[in-house]
Amino acid sequence: MNFEPSEEQQLLAASVARLFEDHGAQTSADPAGQWRDYRDMGLLGLPFAEASGGLGGRFEDVMLVMEAYGRALGQAPYPAAVVLAGRLLEAAGADALLADLIAGEKLAAVALYEPGRRYRWNDPTTVAEREGEGWTLTGAKIAVSGADAATVLLCPASTAEGVRLFAVPAETAGVAVDLRPTPDGRQAADVRFDAVSLPAEAEIGDPATNHGLIAAAIDGAIAASCAEMVGAMEKLLDLTVDYLATRQQFGVAIGSFQALQHRAADMLMAIEQARSMTIHAVAMLEAEARPRGAAVAAAKALVNRTSRFVGQQAIQLHGGMGLTSEYPAGRYFQRLTVLENLYGDTDHHLDRVEAAGGLRAG
Amino acid sequence: MDFSFTEEEKRFRAEVRRTLIEQVPGHIRQAVREEKPVPREWMVEAQRILNRNGYAVPHWPQAWGGRDWSAVQRAILAEEIDRAGVPKPLPFNVALVGPVIAAFGSEEQKRRFLAPIANLDLWFCQGFSEPGAGSDLASLKMAAVRDGDHYRVSGQKIWTTYAHKADWIFCLVRTAQGARKHEGISFLLIDLTTPGIEVRPIRTIDGYHHLNEVFFDDVLVPAGNLVGEEGKGWSYARYLLGQERTSMGNVGVSHRRLDRVGEIAGPLLDDPAYRRRLTWAEIELKALEITQMRVVANERPPSAGPDPKTSILKVKGGEVLQTAAELLLDALGPEALTAGFPEGGDEQPFHGLDARSALVSAYFSSRKYSIFGGANEIQRNILAKAVLGMGKAA
Repeated sequence: MNFEPSEEQQLLAASVARLFEDHGAQTSADPAGQWRDYRDMGLLGLPFAEASGGLGGRFEDVMLVMEAYGRALGQAPYPAAVVLAGRLLEAAGADALLADLIAGEKLAAVALYEPGRRYRWNDPTTVAEREGEGWTLTGAKIAVSGADAATVLLCPASTAEGVRLFAVPAETAGVAVDLRPTPDGRQAADVRFDAVSLPAEAEIGDPATNHGLIAAAIDGAIAASCAEMVGAMEKLLDLTVDYLATRQQFGVAIGSFQALQHRAADMLMAIEQARSMTIHAVAMLEAEARPRGAAVAAAKALVNRTSRFVGQQAIQLHGGMGLTSEYPAGRYFQRLTVLENLYGDTDHHLDRVEAAGGLRAG
Repeated sequence: MDFSFTEEEKRFRAEVRRTLIEQVPGHIRQAVREEKPVPREWMVEAQRILNRNGYAVPHWPQAWGGRDWSAVQRAILAEEIDRAGVPKPLPFNVALVGPVIAAFGSEEQKRRFLAPIANLDLWFCQGFSEPGAGSDLASLKMAAVRDGDHYRVSGQKIWTTYAHKADWIFCLVRTAQGARKHEGISFLLIDLTTPGIEVRPIRTIDGYHHLNEVFFDDVLVPAGNLVGEEGKGWSYARYLLGQERTSMGNVGVSHRRLDRVGEIAGPLLDDPAYRRRLTWAEIELKALEITQMRVVANERPPSAGPDPKTSILKVKGGEVLQTAAELLLDALGPEALTAGFPEGGDEQPFHGLDARSALVSAYFSSRKYSIFGGANEIQRNILAKAVLGMGKAA
């Protein structure tokens, strides 16, 4: 067991921290330019095996990148396009699409969730019917992260043979992408597929194995979101402690009050536990589906609960300043709240842990 | 970074587990698993078995019985000891006084004390707290006045666990009035059979007798029992607190208790509300396991003092233990109502103690985890100051 980043990993963490900070400081956003920076730093190929054209990066590296992304409130669709969609493409053997993604030429997003079905993705109401050699895709998806930048939408759909997976170019006739603001100032989309005609080549994966591939890809994305949340929470705690040291009332810095110190200590302890569960999730990503799912779900449940506590307390400790939109604490709180609901909220993941027989089974 | 146990670490765990089950008698492990108090002779028997295998003092210098094991291996060992229901090596001996003697004691003291301490041939208790010096330990008053070849010791210690079972006590005593209260404190070893010492029991809400008050009335202690230099006791105490932290989170004890929940909760395990509380406890414990390993793997020299992050282990470890104790209590339901326990004596009511009573008693006892060794409020002070760099409390 060794929790210390290697020299190479320290270098990676420092480089991405600098890059994300620079991006955050840009006065006018340049998404295309930022994405080129990601590519030039090798981040787009980081999670993928060398055989798939990637850098063979281990998920520990992805974790380090996502922590830095969380600290800097990253804006680029890295988690959705590379960690979720990219790893799904790799698992499904969609080599050409993955190569385009790694080259920065295409951006993908995965359309998992459907109206009124909360976090159920495994038996979509979106259906694909045979149409000659190809398919007709019909249905509605919601809350598609990264859809604003995506050139390809990966969409699971039910068929007579089980769940098939389609890579749908966003420009295809019949695809309606309804971009909506997210509570953290980004965009996600509700997407309608209105009898979309797809050629046979649009299908990736295999209905016999898709379920496992998608579940594994989502678990990876959850582990990455845990790392992002830990990074964001640590930064938010830093901001809070700084504020408490600066803000004067009754003639002293309010950070000298024990009640507030103890609140900050509680935030610290909770974050350290959340970090530990994130490490556990990452360590279990290569395990069998049941223990992997239990570990990842347990991590997300704990990170979610911690995020709500840390976010709310950070706002409380900032007083009125925490409620203003120009002060950064509120931005972190908004981001954390969005991430809590991404890929399953706390109760959903506790249900998963219990359905798997608990965390200590076998 | 490698978040998995190495093959060597896995082999080590398997070997420890096998050795403990093979060598430590089943009736001892059964009593611990049932949360029953363990008679003195069983604790001695268990520690001698551990010591024979190198398991009692692996963190000591190798010249005195230590092993060349990594901190991760030692943490694995501690976890397995607890999980198997083997009584822990007596912490006052192996984690507290032993390392201080090994580091600061004279050669004669090392030869005289270390091997018996490791083997529990000599049982030490800890004389730190006083009625007026709890969390504010440096306010201690018990005086040791030099008189020729002796110190004359007068005063009182309190909350002294197992003083009624112990042979010796190690004490922080005041040998001078310093400008600051941390000065003028010395570290003294005292034979409990010396005339002038009286041990009085403190009965606790769990029904047992673990705690005592110890009174010293003009007790003559040979000057040769002073450890290190006079007046340096506070720095030795700090050194001692920076010592073995590999089982600070009590991960193995919590595992053992959650194992027990699985044994006795029966249909409650299908009750969604109870099941959810258990799920949270499992998650907190898994996180604690990793946090413990993260602190442990970050090995620091003892001279660096305690890693302030061990305060997280102290608080979170205590919380998980307490939660597990609550789950056990609640598993009893109405049966808890008729699961009282006799007052007084620890070994006497042990025989025939009802299994339910032991759990109810363990619940009351579990409240100590957020109090001893620096109450949780003190741990939060440490975290705020030493880790977060926050200003002095108003």
